Amino acid sequence: MNGGSLSSSLAGFTILEIGEQPGDHAALLLAGLGAEVIKIEPRDGAESRRIGPFASASRDPEESLFFWRYNLNKKSVVLDVDQPEADQVLAGLASNADIVLHSGEYETVARRLPLWRELAQANPRLIVCTITPFGLDGPYCALKTTDLVQMALGGIMAVCGYDPDNDLAYDTPPIAPAMWHSFHLGGEYAAVAIMAAINFRELSGEGQFIDVSVHEAVNTCTEIAIPTYIYSGQLVMRQTARHAATIITHARLTQSADGVFMLACLSPFEREQRALAQLADQMGITHVLSTPEFVLEKDDAGAAALYRNDVLVQIIEGLSADELFSRAQALGLAWSPIRRPEENLDDPHFAARGSFATVHHPELGREIRYPGTVANNGQTPHFSYTRRAPRLGEHTNEILRRAGLTDALAPPSPPRK
Amino acid sequence: MGDGEARPRRALEGVRVIDLTWLQVGPQATRLLATFGAEVIRIEWRERKALDFIRYVPPFAPDHAHAGGGRSQGVARGRGIRGNYDRSAYFNNTNPGKYGITLNLNHPKGRDLLRRMVRDANAICENFSPSQMDKWELGYEDLRKVNPRIIYMQTTGLGKAGVYKDYVSYGPTAQAFSGLTFLSGLPEPRPPAGWGYSYLDHSPGYFGAIMLLAAIRRQRLSGTGCYIDMSQCETGLMLSGTSIVEHQLTGKPTVRYGNRMPFRDWSPHGAYRCAGDDNWIAISVQSDDQWRALVDEMGEPDWALNACFATAISRKQNEDDLDAKLTTYTLGCERYELMNQLQARGIPAGVVQKASDRFDRDPQLKARGYYVDLPHSDIGTWPIEGFPAKMSRSFASVGGPTGRAAPKLGEDNDFVYGQLVGLSDTEIAALKEEGVI
Repeated sequence: MNGGSLSSSLAGFTILEIGEQPGDHAALLLAGLGAEVIKIEPRDGAESRRIGPFASASRDPEESLFFWRYNLNKKSVVLDVDQPEADQVLAGLASNADIVLHSGEYETVARRLPLWRELAQANPRLIVCTITPFGLDGPYCALKTTDLVQMALGGIMAVCGYDPDNDLAYDTPPIAPAMWHSFHLGGEYAAVAIMAAINFRELSGEGQFIDVSVHEAVNTCTEIAIPTYIYSGQLVMRQTARHAATIITHARLTQSADGVFMLACLSPFEREQRALAQLADQMGITHVLSTPEFVLEKDDAGAAALYRNDVLVQIIEGLSADELFSRAQALGLAWSPIRRPEENLDDPHFAARGSFATVHHPELGREIRYPGTVANNGQTPHFSYTRRAPRLGEHTNEILRRAGLTDALAPPSPPRK
Repeated sequence: MGDGEARPRRALEGVRVIDLTWLQVGPQATRLLATFGAEVIRIEWRERKALDFIRYVPPFAPDHAHAGGGRSQGVARGRGIRGNYDRSAYFNNTNPGKYGITLNLNHPKGRDLLRRMVRDANAICENFSPSQMDKWELGYEDLRKVNPRIIYMQTTGLGKAGVYKDYVSYGPTAQAFSGLTFLSGLPEPRPPAGWGYSYLDHSPGYFGAIMLLAAIRRQRLSGTGCYIDMSQCETGLMLSGTSIVEHQLTGKPTVRYGNRMPFRDWSPHGAYRCAGDDNWIAISVQSDDQWRALVDEMGEPDWALNACFATAISRKQNEDDLDAKLTTYTLGCERYELMNQLQARGIPAGVVQKASDRFDRDPQLKARGYYVDLPHSDIGTWPIEGFPAKMSRSFASVGGPTGRAAPKLGEDNDFVYGQLVGLSDTEIAALKEEGVI
């Protein structure tokens, strides 16, 4: 029997989420699988409400698009965690929760650990996951970071950027790919570890503590850089829009006839060379790729690669991006235009797959489409997002009343911006 | 398991995964399942075209590396491709903790044997071209007849269903299509810098593990199966940040902004060149207080006291000038010394670490035991990239149930076919004879 979509597989799970951006992403993913996520925010709102862009020039914390994007489906409870009474409320909430997810700087998270330990003693099934920039111990644990600094220390920046000059000197800086990927990586690994802990709890009845390091999460994601260094002592060199490598490879970024940069993967395989020759033939471009004299080299930097690349450039410059995409793909070439993300909004492929979640924003009187899944079960996406991000304290009364905590702490009124 | 016996310490105790994945995106997800103790059985075939291409990717362990040895760099040559396919650094790092067997799926008896293995498995994962498994009559609809509880995950560039279901894609293709390539790099008219590797061969593996873990839990509780049509492009969209939302509100095209931070009042914010060869430091100044601390650290040069750099807003307005002038300072600095001095003043700063820095130097990774030494049956013990979280009670180690780095091709045929599948020695010998295993 096919159990259908996984989007309600965590129904009945309650997650208390406190803190910063990697936690936003981790809890977003678990919320998409059906968990109830209760976000505990200070009186002036979570830090992620101060991240732009904003829906209007006023930069209202209710209008942070970052907060909107990473807090779909969640509920918001305002609780001033620095007040002495707050521990009692957190304890009350955690006694009914399955998971506490605390993300932030080391000092902030470490200060709260004794409370989580106490709660875990009272509720041995509790899973406590912390996400900190470097983990809860070690010489770097208290360093100050941002996404950029994590991308630098974690090694992704060193392998991303632009080609060096002919003497292999760089006149451009290493690049941190934009849009918060250190938070993504930390958050994804936290969600992976939490899902493992949930499986473990089903077997053993035990919760546990999980200590996620964003630094290590970023470090896992540089592909061949580390194995190459360990085994050969060589460093890979960053190159424009293609793989960093120990040699400079030839593929050049080229614009189509209508000015769109094309990502034209071309591996030194016979099958791909034949496809390239066919495409050149279709366009009437003269070439010697199909002659017996043309020797296929496996070396990405060799003369054959340079020649193939020259043919490729002529092809790309001769057709529009749309034509290149469909004609190359028809021949089995894994080419794609370099799209802006929003160009996918109206692509029928993603419409057919239900890739975007349509979410109503009553305050705007309109709907917004959010990227909403990474997979489906043949009919239905495995992640489901239906509710816009909560307004500050929107669910304070509901959640505290449900937990029988209405007397514990009068919820403070949301502040002016 | 009765009372009084040791409680299970592995989240995926007793979970068996048939792993038909190759390259990076599929093996990444199953690597994580092995990390939590699942029995991951990696299937390959001996013909050159059926081998995981990653086995041919250099570098290779040096010629002198041997089963009883440890890490020692050196030259790898003279073995040719066939001699090296059990010696690839990247393959070894991507596939620790897994069992390795050979099985010929082009042979009808090979496909029968796979169906037999699926009967007793929890999950099967593959990332072939979209229709390959259907051609073998081993697609989800075929295999659920053999085992209705089976979890089947298929990872492709664009997805098995949809308008582009027959399109082909490598990681960089999916990055380009979804928008991640565009988002990375200096502002136009500069071209995008993109990613220096296949980011979308990694992140979909993490998402894949999340879904497999959810499906395994559900299967254990309710006996239901699951089909997962995983798309690398959809993963790219999930990771495109606020760009798609912002576009719907403003109607404006997304722009690139290099290493700067348009979404907060943070400036300076970028990578700055330091003394030495291609050495850089990332600095993120988040407040005017941090800026004044930076000015103080620099010894209050005249340029830095100029009113045009006094506030975050004005620094942002003059950011090209600011970056150029700040570089005149950082150029004279040793990168780690500068990082330590800025950190001591509470300014977020970090060296743009190269692989050598991260492996030889990074004291944090060392203190946390991030790299894990694991033995390989031919090339000895090498450091493998670890799991980035510590778990207090359940097993989480990339060595998985095998306690090894990657398996050699067909290394575990006798164990898997004999003990796990339950074939007799005679049956195994016959299957070998016929070219099935």
